[in-house]
Amino acid sequence: MIDTLRVAETPEGIFLQMRAAGALPRACAWALDFLIRCAALFTLAGMFAMLGTSGTGLYLLALFVVFWIYPIAFEVLFDGQTPGKMIMKLRVVTANGTPVSWIASIVRNLLRAVDMLPIAYGFGLTASLIDPHGRRLGDLVAGTLVVYADVPAPVNALPNVPALPSPIPLPMAERAAIIEFSERSARLTPERQEELADLLPALTDARQANAVRRLHGLAASFLGRT
Amino acid sequence: MKQEAFQARHEQEWLGFERWLNAHVGRRAQDRKLAEEIIAAGQFPLALRRLCQQLSLAERRQYSTLLIDRLRSLAQRGHQALYKPAPPRLHHVTEFFSASFPRLVREQWRAMSVSAALFFLSMLAVVLMLQLRPELIHSLFDPQQIAEFESMYDPARVVERLGRNEGTDLQMFGFYIFNNISIGFRTFASGLLAGIGSIFVLVMNGTIIGGVAGHLTAIGYGEPFWGFVAGHSAPELLAIVISGGAGLQIGMALVAPGRRSRTRALAEAGVIGAKLVLGVFAMLVLAAFIEAYWSSIVWLPPIVKYGVGALMWALILMWLWRGGRNGVGRGAGG
Repeated sequence: MIDTLRVAETPEGIFLQMRAAGALPRACAWALDFLIRCAALFTLAGMFAMLGTSGTGLYLLALFVVFWIYPIAFEVLFDGQTPGKMIMKLRVVTANGTPVSWIASIVRNLLRAVDMLPIAYGFGLTASLIDPHGRRLGDLVAGTLVVYADVPAPVNALPNVPALPSPIPLPMAERAAIIEFSERSARLTPERQEELADLLPALTDARQANAVRRLHGLAASFLGRT
Repeated sequence: MKQEAFQARHEQEWLGFERWLNAHVGRRAQDRKLAEEIIAAGQFPLALRRLCQQLSLAERRQYSTLLIDRLRSLAQRGHQALYKPAPPRLHHVTEFFSASFPRLVREQWRAMSVSAALFFLSMLAVVLMLQLRPELIHSLFDPQQIAEFESMYDPARVVERLGRNEGTDLQMFGFYIFNNISIGFRTFASGLLAGIGSIFVLVMNGTIIGGVAGHLTAIGYGEPFWGFVAGHSAPELLAIVISGGAGLQIGMALVAPGRRSRTRALAEAGVIGAKLVLGVFAMLVLAAFIEAYWSSIVWLPPIVKYGVGALMWALILMWLWRGGRNGVGRGAGG
């Protein structure tokens, strides 16, 4: 199946759905992180330059922290997100959907040194193109995965219309389809809504705007409103 | 039960759950404190289990996609919050260094011995070779490099600090941290290339260190050189050996995973490697500190430096050999 969706069962018996991120958004996140790191080092370099040769030592310490510690610290302390990943709405998680642990983050970030080989993340890119979940080598060893951070789902907002009992009994799947039409109508243009509603003249016994209203009414009654 | 009734019954609960999640990741200290209190009272796992049950019910009853998506999103966020890694506690850290780490090094004795052999034998071979045929140094380094490290350890030159041409202690500390620890990390990481990367780094470092040591000894600059390296040699060289061993065992997991799947073997080796690298990190920080602030002192007689160096070797080897033997903290490693 060509799908980036990865499903993990939790101890609570539900299935977490994670959408694995491909190489491109991850490269963008990396580039953003790179800019942020450069900016941080540039600022620090300016400050340490005033301290003379000892400043060079502090600068090298900062270089070490920015180079090796930055991704690990951000991933563990900020729910799997470095600033770049935050902007790109990505998140590092363990394969079972739990937040990334210290050990896993250390593994995936140290093994970056291998993913970067031979040039420009060549190994990492190759691995992420072969792997169904777009993991680079460091992710494979650490058992982690970069997924799209889920955006909170919008709260149910059904158009407020009086419920209308269905003239004929409908099977479950068809009722679900009508409810979904009603829930999604806010994201459709009125013309498209009418076009869709006109497909069901037998059910609505109306046309255009009236048909849309009837469908909303049916949806309301299927949801249990009276 | 119709969806509207289901929603009406649980709506307050879901809103409360969402409020808690927002407070949990919130930036305000009092929000986080409140959230911590709820989790400490054990209410949160209970609330998450209820939510998961409601999600399963909603899925089974084929409620609308929007509702299911909303509950799933809440459940996923709750899952992230509940299984967040605990912050490292002090006693875990002390236990890791006093027991788990040395035990892990001993457990991986095969990889460690191979790594030590590669590193020390190549070093020893080059040192001996340069005593017999000193001119071979020119096939290892170019004249500029040779002149540079000769001037650093020239006994005739009056120097303020040993082991460097210029720079303060702090500057050199920063340099040693960045340079040496990066090398340690790369030695481990390159082991993923079927172990070849680690072997290469070990032999190359052994050759370079052996080349410098052998050449300086051969031309009679031995005293300042050995005096300089004695103090930090134990933590630094052993850390390189351990990171090489950590790399080799990850390479072995790729080449010969045994009865496990390759992915599984790599994942297990990755955990072992990361723990070993944590120890290597600490050893190299210690080495950098000694190298910058102790090894560079000029006025100490060499005998004191050799003595301290020997003591360091004895202590660190003792730590790696005996640490965690009495079974303290077994099975609960870092």
